Amino acid sequence: MSLLKINNLKCHYLTDIDTVKAVDGISFEIEEREILGIVGESGSGKTTVALGIMGLLPENTAVSGEILYRNEVISSLPEPEMNRFRWKDIAIVFQNGLEVMNPVLKVGVQVTEPMIKHLDISPEKARSKCADLFRTVGLDPKWMDSYPHQLSGGMRQKVLLAMALSCDPKLLVLDEVTSALDAFTRKEIRDLLVDLQKNGYTMLVISHDITFVSSVASRIAVMYSGKVIETGPVRDILVSPLHPYTRGLVHSTPDIFVYKDLWGIPGDVPSGDEFEGCPFSPRCTQRIDICNKTSPVLVPAGEGREIACHRGGIAGLLAAKNLNFSYRLPDGEYLQAVNNVNLEVMEGEVLAIVGQTGSGKSTLAHILADVIRPECGDVLFMGGNVFGGNYGSRFNGIQIVFQDPFSSTSNRFTVLDAIKEPLYINKIGSNGDRLQMVKSALELVRLPSSDNFLRKYCGELSGGQRQRVALARAMVMEPKLLIADEITSALDVSTSANILRLLKGLQNRRGFAMIYISHDLSLTLKIADRIAVMNSGKIIEIGNSHDVMLSPSDEYTKRLVGSRIGLCCHTH
Amino acid sequence: MVNDRNSFIFRSLSTLLVILVINFFLPRMMPGDPFSTTSADEVGGEIIVMTEEQHLYYVNYYGLDRPLYEQFLSYMKNLMTGNLGRSIYYKMPVSDVIMLHLPWTILIVVSATVVSTISGVVLGTLSAKNRKKGSDRIMMTGMIAFAEIPSFLLGLILLLIFSVYFRLFPLAGAVTPFAHYNGPTDQVLDILYHAFLPVLTLSLSQLTGVYLLTRNTLITVTTKDYIRTARAKGLGEKNVWIRHALRNALLPVVTRTGFMIGIMMGGVVLVENVFSYPGIGMTLRSAVVGRDYPLIQGILLVIAVSILICNLLVDKIYGKLDPRVVI
Ligand SMILES: Nc1ncnc2c1ncn2[C@@H]1O[C@H](COP(=O)(O)OP(=O)(O)O)[C@@H](O)[C@H]1O
Ligand code: SF4
Ligand SMILES: [Mg+2]
Repeated sequence: MSLLKINNLKCHYLTDIDTVKAVDGISFEIEEREILGIVGESGSGKTTVALGIMGLLPENTAVSGEILYRNEVISSLPEPEMNRFRWKDIAIVFQNGLEVMNPVLKVGVQVTEPMIKHLDISPEKARSKCADLFRTVGLDPKWMDSYPHQLSGGMRQKVLLAMALSCDPKLLVLDEVTSALDAFTRKEIRDLLVDLQKNGYTMLVISHDITFVSSVASRIAVMYSGKVIETGPVRDILVSPLHPYTRGLVHSTPDIFVYKDLWGIPGDVPSGDEFEGCPFSPRCTQRIDICNKTSPVLVPAGEGREIACHRGGIAGLLAAKNLNFSYRLPDGEYLQAVNNVNLEVMEGEVLAIVGQTGSGKSTLAHILADVIRPECGDVLFMGGNVFGGNYGSRFNGIQIVFQDPFSSTSNRFTVLDAIKEPLYINKIGSNGDRLQMVKSALELVRLPSSDNFLRKYCGELSGGQRQRVALARAMVMEPKLLIADEITSALDVSTSANILRLLKGLQNRRGFAMIYISHDLSLTLKIADRIAVMNSGKIIEIGNSHDVMLSPSDEYTKRLVGSRIGLCCHTH
Repeated sequence: MVNDRNSFIFRSLSTLLVILVINFFLPRMMPGDPFSTTSADEVGGEIIVMTEEQHLYYVNYYGLDRPLYEQFLSYMKNLMTGNLGRSIYYKMPVSDVIMLHLPWTILIVVSATVVSTISGVVLGTLSAKNRKKGSDRIMMTGMIAFAEIPSFLLGLILLLIFSVYFRLFPLAGAVTPFAHYNGPTDQVLDILYHAFLPVLTLSLSQLTGVYLLTRNTLITVTTKDYIRTARAKGLGEKNVWIRHALRNALLPVVTRTGFMIGIMMGGVVLVENVFSYPGIGMTLRSAVVGRDYPLIQGILLVIAVSILICNLLVDKIYGKLDPRVVI
């Protein structure tokens, strides 16, 4: 029997202007002694769930669905009835805001108050119990006689925790309890919670901080715009998130992706209560027609996981199987540049392929972009065969940018012609349209779109500018997959850092997937979600970039990582 | 905090000085002087007309022919020694005149403060609890409309209805003249009987303010996080409202009470005159009519000082009630 069960809970705030569907049909259960975590960005409805459980939603809320505590429906109880459950059975720890405790009552009084009310004990007894509780949460009992404003945020949070524990509740609801705390206090609270769980408390831990939640919870539910979009065991969610939103959340968490630059998930939650489609669709890089029409429901996805996505979670974009390619050397020998490579690129992700010069990275890139054909193997792009599929000349296809900007844009072309060429060759748009497309592509890569600049010859541009023109040339075709082959290696450090930021920014905003090929591990780590390590034509290791970095399993990768450490003295 | 205290004292002193200056010059800017007016506007009073000689003699006797700044300096000098001067009209020390009438004013002002604060808080709480319901709307509209009636007009209406028409309450005075009391209870009852209408008038004139403040502060307070916390603890409605909501909502009410006494000190002059209640308000009126400069100055000073004292007290009390304030 689960301790708490929530069935299709909906909490809609009816304001004067509109209806906010803060919680829109969620269901979950918490088993006894379990710690369930709810994560989601601010405004996704987490606090509303917590208040809903406590029966504390404001009057202007339309609540439907059921909340069962030990099989008893508590969601529609009148206030006095609900008070039977509050604090003795279910207690909540709020975030340590300044006004979360009564400013004119001593904190000790506020902690003993519910004990006197619910446990039927004398004030003296309650006081001594309060002192014990203070010790439990790591506070000196002398603070009992101070007022809330005399305590620091961390101390207030501990008082709030002591207050919640005062009547020995069965279920503890914790809403953003560490969000406003320094790292040290956060760890203290975390350790406290782990201890409490050992003592038999069941907990619902709510926070936007996925690191904190995953360090205490055993199971996580991810909320987005009032709905649960993914649930599963903590480890699974962190290692292989299914939903594109969860991936974004995990990837923009500094504690999980230690080296990567932070890039939030672009876009906004759809507003307006008429929207019927998937709430994530405005930000989703893999949406299909149905996503705008109906909202996906949470369905089991095996191994105790659930996902709400019409595409079953993050979809594959490109799959390469058994690729082989050999060069014939002048002496008649064959050099196997790509050796039985299998590879998958997911929608919207950045896969980096790293390896020493000559390890076969560029050859692989050329095969994937259908520039050269392999001896054997297949490459599938969105279900279609890349070979002969002409994805390079289609909108939303595959584009490749090469290492050497001088080879992709001819010296004798003007900027306009260089960028317009793919449109021209593929007969896309009228002349006026093309000019417009060229200009917006130039803006994307932060180059001037003045007539003056358009008339310049590529030969007159600097290396960095020329690489941007090459990027614009690729962007004008709005690719779903961009292959960037050592695009910064010919540039100086600061220019390459700029180009890299630009590229990642574009990728993040436009939502295309990217294969980023480089021999420079440090730069790669800043943008990659996953890393594939190549050596002598083989992919010898592939995984989340932090895993590959922090715990490389292959000897060669270790050497690669080691050489990076040797170069950069600041690494820890 | 030493600085705060010093600046407080400095502020009070400078306020007092400004008041003294105004007190001194304002009465002297009125047309006429203590001896050129006749008491003809006192109904039934005998008409005294002074000869020019007599007039000059008195003006000289009271030093009113000296230059204003000299008069002011000597006024200030006297004040330093606690001497408020002599009343021209009553022919006795101003302080004695004030001591004779001030207790009555204090009686009705303090009673009105207590009555209006308690009933305002109770009604405001009821209103806030029934917020958005009919009873709140009706109460609020009624209260606001009621507040528009000036207090002397309200006093007149009450006087006409209860004293003139129903003859339930006396028309004038603070005690029954020449009464013989059978013990102190009787005396107290008689005093209350006379004070009833003035106190009621003053209270009613202040009620709306307290009511609105209580209601609105309570409504704001009930949206605070600590009220939600108190609810979450399952303490029960009564506890949540009294211990947590009202306890906080009363803080601004306390501050207001300080201002309120100030406002009432002004209002009391009119109300006392309506009910011919022998407090300093009525004395002030006759002092003004008689251009009794020393008395006018004395009474205005007493009013000003009592307002200052009230504010000081309120600050002290507030500091006791709200632990966030450091005095
Ligand atoms: N009392 C309220 N009235 C109207 N809208 C509200 C109210 N409380 C929260 N909301 C809205 O409901 C949504 C969910 O809020 P909340 O549950 O606080 O999210 P979270 O805790 O995940 O940050 C937000 O869009 C928020 O603006
Ligand atoms: S693919 Fe569709 S259903 Fe899935 S997350 Fe994207 S928009 Fe939502
Ligand atoms: Mg919240």
